[in-house]
Amino acid sequence: MHTSNPLLLSCIGCLLILLMASTNVKAAHKHHIMQATTKDATTCMQNEITCAKTVTTAFAPNSDLWRLWALKGHMYFQVSKDKGVTFSSVRQVNVEKEKISARNENRPKIAFDQYQGVYLSWVMPKEKRYTADVRFSYSKDYGKTFTVPVTVNNDGLDIGHSFNEMRVTDEGEVSMVWLDSRLAHQRRLEGKQTNGSALYFGEANYRKKQFTFSNQQLANNTCVCCRIALDTNTQGELAILWRHIYLDNIREFALLTLTQNESPPLKPVQISHDHWKIDGCPHQGGAISIDQNNRYHMVWFNQGDLGKGIFYASSDDQGESLTKPIGVGMQSAQAAHPHINTLGSKVDIVWTQFNGIKHQLWHQGSNDYGKSFTDAKLLATSSEGADRPFIIKNDGKSFVSWHRLQQGHWVQAL
Amino acid sequence: MNFLKRFLLMLLMPILFTTHYVYASSIVLTQEQLTGIKKQNMGEKWLMLLWSVDCPPCFKELDMIQKLNKKQADLNVVLINTDASEETLLRRREIINKFQLMDLPNFHFAADQGAQSRFIIDPNWYGELPRSYFFESNGQSHSKSGVVDESLLVSWLGE
Repeated sequence: MHTSNPLLLSCIGCLLILLMASTNVKAAHKHHIMQATTKDATTCMQNEITCAKTVTTAFAPNSDLWRLWALKGHMYFQVSKDKGVTFSSVRQVNVEKEKISARNENRPKIAFDQYQGVYLSWVMPKEKRYTADVRFSYSKDYGKTFTVPVTVNNDGLDIGHSFNEMRVTDEGEVSMVWLDSRLAHQRRLEGKQTNGSALYFGEANYRKKQFTFSNQQLANNTCVCCRIALDTNTQGELAILWRHIYLDNIREFALLTLTQNESPPLKPVQISHDHWKIDGCPHQGGAISIDQNNRYHMVWFNQGDLGKGIFYASSDDQGESLTKPIGVGMQSAQAAHPHINTLGSKVDIVWTQFNGIKHQLWHQGSNDYGKSFTDAKLLATSSEGADRPFIIKNDGKSFVSWHRLQQGHWVQAL
Repeated sequence: MNFLKRFLLMLLMPILFTTHYVYASSIVLTQEQLTGIKKQNMGEKWLMLLWSVDCPPCFKELDMIQKLNKKQADLNVVLINTDASEETLLRRREIINKFQLMDLPNFHFAADQGAQSRFIIDPNWYGELPRSYFFESNGQSHSKSGVVDESLLVSWLGE
């Protein structure tokens, strides 16, 4: 009697089809036994800094320490008036919600002018895979209000623009660099071979009503997945350090100083010579800091045939010649993600290591412009994940900023 | 009649769930999982490929795997996503679906446990991607960072 019911017949049919399908799935042949856990860690529902994957810190001209993070399409900040001991309540940057890259090498950037101006820049991923725009917003009232965000890259193309870095002068001159794939896109359309991305540079000044960013290509064939590093030299010129692709996927660091009196063509110099040949993503950018004598101090990470690990070197001639690179940290202990800063004759380097259980933050310092360094010292540990560490300075002191996932943000004077 | 509907639904639900799971899910990688994968593949040559949504070159290698997977039944490849982030969950699924690799064993690093997961795979690996581990039938392996040459993949995974 029941077998004549259409519902029952169709259900039995479904059962048989599904049973057949499930037994035909290749994945079923070995790995069902291991399918025990599929749920990720607890979803963080709050806007607190402990929920963030990255934190960006910077001192304002009045010595306030700002920290900035992004969660679920919004940016949040807190301000400390005691160098990071205590912070104000959390405030949301009052711009419309949009996607914000804030993971590993990617994070929003913050800078200041001397007129209460606060400048934000970030990367907004778009719907299509590997497409994103570099975004910018300005506050003239120390963070109370922000302008409607604008897109910095001016090509209007649905392609990749990412890994933004920003510098702002006291007078509000904004300099932006980023990785831009418009040239690679064009070459692909023409059926030509291409590798990597391009380094782009843009300027604007909101205080002078120059709202549109210029867009200038500085270099081609850059690595597509490592952060860029910036500093300003004693002549006020921008120095840029990035991972470049040389020859057949040899990924080495390159340096370019945007000299004021020189017209293009720009000539980047190769900094590292570790011969890391990889058609892939290292996910590790370098860092640069220029001291009062215009000596460039740089750190980077490579896994090449000729050099593995973190290296430090300096240059008195904008990278044309370099001191012999010295190794930093324990290569066997996953030493990675170095950052550097200078203060007078001091050179500080921080990096992370991982011992299989804990992330560690390490520091090594020099008091003689990098000629010699103290022994490495363990500063802090993290039992969960760890963000990249950064060194910032203010009022003649250097501070290390390190965000520990689920534990919180950590600031300490060096 | 209502009882019959409920009964059939009860029968269908676990099967629907199981089928969905097999086709679209990824499993959190643990030390136990990794040990199990290696144990079960003893006696065979196989490939463990690590990839991330933040790694454009990884897609070249996923594309090669897709081609091999279409040609070859029981392709012995294990895929592991290294993003260690809940935010990338949808993207991970989209990519695996796009390359039609749902039928291969898919694993991923637990959220915020990127370094820990990397360490259990290989303490000498720094996270550069793609990362391929070529396992011999005796369980020994060698690794390569960066996109692997297609001919090497074909010869390693060939029938």
